[in-house]
Amino acid sequence: MAKDSITRPATQESLMTRIKDNLPIIIVSVFSIILFAAVYIKGGTSQIFNVFITGGMWALLAVGLALVFGVMNIPHFAHGESFMVGAYVAYFTFNPIREYLQQNPSKFIGIIAPFGAILVAGLAGAVLGVIIERGIFAPLRHRTKEGWVMNAFLLTVGISFVLTNGANLVLGPNFRGVPRYWDVDAVEIAGAYMSVDRLIAFGVSMLTIGVLWFFLRRTRIGRAIRAVSQDETGAQLVGINLNFIQTLTFSLATAMAAISGASLLFLFQAYPTVGATPLYYAWYVVMMAGLGNVAGAIIGGFIVALLQTSTQLFVAVSWTTVIPTAVMILVLLLAPSGIFGSDVKGVQEQ
Amino acid sequence: MSSSKTAQEKTNAWSKFVSFLSKLGFSPIGLVLLIIIAILPISSPYFQQEYIVRWLIMGAFMAAQSVAFDFTAGYINIVNFGFAALLGFGAYTSGILSNNTPFISVAPGLSPWISIWLGAIMAGFVGFILAVLTLRLRGIFAAVMAWFLGIALMGLINNLTSLTRGPLGMNPVKFLETTNNLPYFYIVFAMMIGIYIILKLVTRSHFGLAFKAIGQNLDAARASGINPTRYLVFNFTLSAFFAGLLGGFYAHFYGSLTPSTLMHTSKTVEILAIAYIGGRGSLWGGIAIAFPFVFFIEYLRSNFTDLPGLHLVIYGLLMIVVMIFYPNGFSGFVAWAKTKLDALFPKKAAS
Repeated sequence: MAKDSITRPATQESLMTRIKDNLPIIIVSVFSIILFAAVYIKGGTSQIFNVFITGGMWALLAVGLALVFGVMNIPHFAHGESFMVGAYVAYFTFNPIREYLQQNPSKFIGIIAPFGAILVAGLAGAVLGVIIERGIFAPLRHRTKEGWVMNAFLLTVGISFVLTNGANLVLGPNFRGVPRYWDVDAVEIAGAYMSVDRLIAFGVSMLTIGVLWFFLRRTRIGRAIRAVSQDETGAQLVGINLNFIQTLTFSLATAMAAISGASLLFLFQAYPTVGATPLYYAWYVVMMAGLGNVAGAIIGGFIVALLQTSTQLFVAVSWTTVIPTAVMILVLLLAPSGIFGSDVKGVQEQ
Repeated sequence: MSSSKTAQEKTNAWSKFVSFLSKLGFSPIGLVLLIIIAILPISSPYFQQEYIVRWLIMGAFMAAQSVAFDFTAGYINIVNFGFAALLGFGAYTSGILSNNTPFISVAPGLSPWISIWLGAIMAGFVGFILAVLTLRLRGIFAAVMAWFLGIALMGLINNLTSLTRGPLGMNPVKFLETTNNLPYFYIVFAMMIGIYIILKLVTRSHFGLAFKAIGQNLDAARASGINPTRYLVFNFTLSAFFAGLLGGFYAHFYGSLTPSTLMHTSKTVEILAIAYIGGRGSLWGGIAIAFPFVFFIEYLRSNFTDLPGLHLVIYGLLMIVVMIFYPNGFSGFVAWAKTKLDALFPKKAAS
């Protein structure tokens, strides 16, 4: 981690040390390329698209996770529940419209309505994020910062428990889903048939990540967020409102998870424990990329999706939790701070 | 004169008794409460009802789990997020080894009284592996590692269908032929007491100090001559061993095992909630909380059947509230009350 910041004379840096310094990245890249080729040979273009589409979603989820950890040092275990809330909100927004459309078909509303549902879900996620941050993390921050990472982690575990069982209590364990958002035939791309829903879900995830990237890099508030993630005290000294930034970051992350839950409603459906699987994968991504590393989370999302797809393809669908988990255990063992490293404060805190 | 002397001897005998008890980790009040719980199911017909006995079994089972969980979380300060998976691993091992039905591919047909120990040893072995894997990791990384290992174990059990029948679940043999629950209560109660006394004795020794030192500051502990590897491995292995033992009890008491009802992360969270509400690093806090808690929760579950999962929501909310506003938990509250009482009634014996 710290080794990146040490400046060495370029001439003394032999090829060997360079390879040594970047060994995890090299191993993972080579491994990914081999897997990618294998997936292409066995599954053809449709599986390659599959990797990208699932990868986009894991990336969107993992970016939120990385952002929350980077700025607030919260290892967010209730991220899957934001996904669940997004799926529910999208269902309850979109389903009445769908029923209405079945009686009075309208092409325009049919195209617009799913986007509206996804947007509403995102807004609901943002509100949920504000409530959780103000109601739970602000009081804890007020009380003590001692052992913050672990305490915050356990609190999010409690939040996840409450939200899952709360949904079960209020809405029951039934599955609520829509067969598809857009009533259009699958389109053919490079010899593979892809449903429009999947393509748009990929588009939504890429667009959201792009907007976030622009927001973090190019706007004043985005710079403030990055400043807080680098140095909290320094950020306060230059007049950044820490409370505002923290609430904003948390609600952004929650909104992103809700958007991904909403845009994957046709695939996952909405039920109380729907968030568990996305949560695993988002955690795989951030553990592999390095906790708090936002850029790494985007690439990591695709690598994890590649691993998942190749397990499905070469082993069996039922092993998709076991093999990626085993690989992640290896990664955690060999490169605890992730393959892309992580220079977030407090990562190594006990 | 002589009467005061006998009083003196009496107090001496009493304080000897108390100090002997405290060596085993009991306070007089705690011992009385435990004895009350132990004789509760034979005391009156009300408590002999099957469901009350089942609640008591559940309470003792949860209490024992929280003791084994707190042994790692409260001392070494690593939250073992795969605890339920270790327990389930022990349960499955014991269930398979004692199997004598043709439903799964092997039928060694051992007695459950033997296989439960083998299950515990296997779980302890997995705990050993987990300890080796987490040696370099601290805090959140160690918790995530344990979580991943738990997910992998659960996936493994789900997939080895010829041995475990996967999500369909298997039916291990029961300990006893009888359908009466009362003997099972005394089995799990004895397990709870045994686990508590053993772990308390371990933490009373220099091991406990070393655990606490490692939990608070690894580098400082290492600098003062503590070899963290040894202690971490010992702690994890012992905790996992007892988790596996309790899993074996579960297998041979309920006679039905499925991965998702036993090994899922939410099961770890339930234990975590009890251990934390009871108070970190006390061991007995979990026992004190588990019984009233299980009764309260089972009461809710049986009386509000139209609100499924209400008890779990209350679980989570209580855990959040305790963590934010009263992180010391129940044992912290008792310690606080004790100092207040001592300040109010200063002991005359000291002067």
